[in-house]
Amino acid sequence: MPPLLLRGGRVIDPASSLDRTADVAVDERGRIASVAPGLSPIPGAAVIDCAGLIVCPGLIDPHVHLREPGQEHKETIATGAAAAAAGGFTTVCCMPNTSPALDSAAMIEAVRARADAALRDASEAPESPGSPYAGRLAARVFAVGAVSKGRKGEELAEIALMARAGAVGFSDDGDCVMSAGLMSRALAAVAPTGRAVMQHCQDHTMTGASAMHAGPTAVRLGLVGWPSAAEEIIIERDLRLNRAIGSRYHLQHLSAAGAVDIVRRARREGQPVTAEASPHHLLLTDEACDNYNTAAKMNPPLRTGEDVAALIEGVRDGTVTILASDHAPHTPDEKALPFEAAPFGIVGLETALALYIEALITPGVIGWPRLLEMLTINPARLCGLDRCGIGSLAPGNPADITVIDPEVRWTIGEADLAGKCRNSPFLGRAARGRAVMTFIGGEPLLRAPGLDRRR
Amino acid sequence: MPHLLGLQGMPPDRLRSLLARARDLIPHAERARPPLDTRRGASVVNLFFEDSTRTRLSFTLAARRLGADVADLTAAGSSASKGETLLDTALTVRALGASGIVLRHAMSGAAIAAARALDALPGPPCAILNAGDGRHEHPTQGILDALTIAEAHARLPDFNLGGLRIAILGDVANSRVARSDIAALTALGASVVCVGPPGLCPPSLRSLGCDTSHDLDAVLPDVDAVQSLRIQMERSPALASVRDYAAGYQLDLARSARMKPGAVVLHPGPMNRGVEITGDVADGPRSRILRQVTLGVAVRMACLAECLAR
Repeated sequence: MPPLLLRGGRVIDPASSLDRTADVAVDERGRIASVAPGLSPIPGAAVIDCAGLIVCPGLIDPHVHLREPGQEHKETIATGAAAAAAGGFTTVCCMPNTSPALDSAAMIEAVRARADAALRDASEAPESPGSPYAGRLAARVFAVGAVSKGRKGEELAEIALMARAGAVGFSDDGDCVMSAGLMSRALAAVAPTGRAVMQHCQDHTMTGASAMHAGPTAVRLGLVGWPSAAEEIIIERDLRLNRAIGSRYHLQHLSAAGAVDIVRRARREGQPVTAEASPHHLLLTDEACDNYNTAAKMNPPLRTGEDVAALIEGVRDGTVTILASDHAPHTPDEKALPFEAAPFGIVGLETALALYIEALITPGVIGWPRLLEMLTINPARLCGLDRCGIGSLAPGNPADITVIDPEVRWTIGEADLAGKCRNSPFLGRAARGRAVMTFIGGEPLLRAPGLDRRR
Repeated sequence: MPHLLGLQGMPPDRLRSLLARARDLIPHAERARPPLDTRRGASVVNLFFEDSTRTRLSFTLAARRLGADVADLTAAGSSASKGETLLDTALTVRALGASGIVLRHAMSGAAIAAARALDALPGPPCAILNAGDGRHEHPTQGILDALTIAEAHARLPDFNLGGLRIAILGDVANSRVARSDIAALTALGASVVCVGPPGLCPPSLRSLGCDTSHDLDAVLPDVDAVQSLRIQMERSPALASVRDYAAGYQLDLARSARMKPGAVVLHPGPMNRGVEITGDVADGPRSRILRQVTLGVAVRMACLAECLAR
């Protein structure tokens, strides 16, 4: 592999609090050699001018659905990794709600093998000139293991064996761990692995046939509502359970203002809890479901303007420290069904960065270093990836790098979606900022459209 | 090609035009005048994924009185049992030559989804007429309820229901009839109050443009009409028991006696006699329940005439 020099970009490495104009040198082993201004290229290095661009650790999304095995018509590990790369992500963590579920060491190893193969194939593939993306699209994929066998919420899955096989967290995502007894056992089993229990917070006894947020739009459409309390009481319960155990506990896709308050209080008390927010919950409200718009049907549901404001405040004050797309591909046929029958979820990997910029950077809620902290080192620590050098630009780390054009204007279109599905409520939206290059282990992957014309 | 999907947000001109057309068709519905043949050659398909007595028959008779052919498909005997989706069924029925599909389905939004599927693919004109979708809407019921109240209070010339206060009683939260009634009645100027226990009649319903109350006895003396909804045990997990409900909300003779002179009682059917309404009220002088059924044929004739291509 030829060495690499990314010259003159705004280098932001939140793990080391670095934010300055500098060069990033990558050695022939694909590792970060040094980060400093005015570096001379290693002999034979490819030099890329990054003036006006942001150079940062490769973005990490700790919550995506890649549908393999079982629903390969919606996405595969390879196509999901392509979607990740198109959005500037170099690492994603896939949820275990596949068919069968990722609930054993063998399944975790199978995902790892598929992920390794996808990355290798992409690196070796020729560039495809017909694609809107000039580069080859791939990303690292890690698996989150199920908390319970078959995700049934009954028996604990083999947590320790899955952790040894490389599971980066544990979740029954898609379903809540409803049983307090099982959650208590899960927290105790996960604690010694150093990973986190990732909870999908939804009291199913309160949300039976629900399809959207319990509010005026649901009343008008005659849809059963999913009240915010169903999210909040699970968080309260789990935090109470975890007081005696002290496991790492992570809240997935926070959606309700009251939930933000609970997490804020718990973090002030020093409890080992983290929380994530998704782009759609930072930008859209339940009104997006009007006229039975299944593109806006997701779980947890889009809520009110007050909930959006509370989530944004939670990001601003450090209650929410991680961002996650909850990338959830579904086919057009499924999303064309009547609203109550259509599946929950939207694709998100390709659009997430621009939407975070719109929700958080453009209005001045936080600056770039904070945003990138929530997209690199924080999710890396959540999933224990920092221990293998992922999430920061420290010398010696694998050169996983994302280069972002923070100002480029574009309109989100179907051609920008590199995965298998197109179920996004953001098609047609004007966007600012996007990833223009990614590197994994120094290997160039994404090269965004227009980059050559621009330089 | 217009569909008839719901009354929420329907332009007031269209609602009044359907009401006027229905009013003029009342003699045909009553069989005082012979059937028309203005829609001869049109084919109406009743596509019912939920059970129905009056709505299905009403649409059938209405279509025949316009000269149209009618065919029926019910979920039990259809390919729905083989897993065919509603949307494929609707496309298939259109391809078979239907010019109108009268659709009833258990899911809110089903009629809109079917209409979108038809509009998304090229094909001959074919209208969806929503005959009830889940908890969402039952637009022909809303129109016929408005027509019944307008007739009872001598508002037929212009359908201006200003000054009238109308109670909708019972399981409002789970009722598609209530949503269509509220949309139609408020659009015509009436004020609507929904009455029932909190689980069936939550304050969140006020976003529909009505009031809510949990005290039937306080509401009754002020209203000009009561629409008593059917208690739907299959859709009402909030209900502890029928007896528990009846104690506070059954429309019985004593309560009926406290209503204003001229106030009328409606029920969209099917009735649970002795639950939400007693037999003596249902059959009593205030009752317009069978009149609703008759006017329903006129309303469905009007809606079919509007929606079926000539």
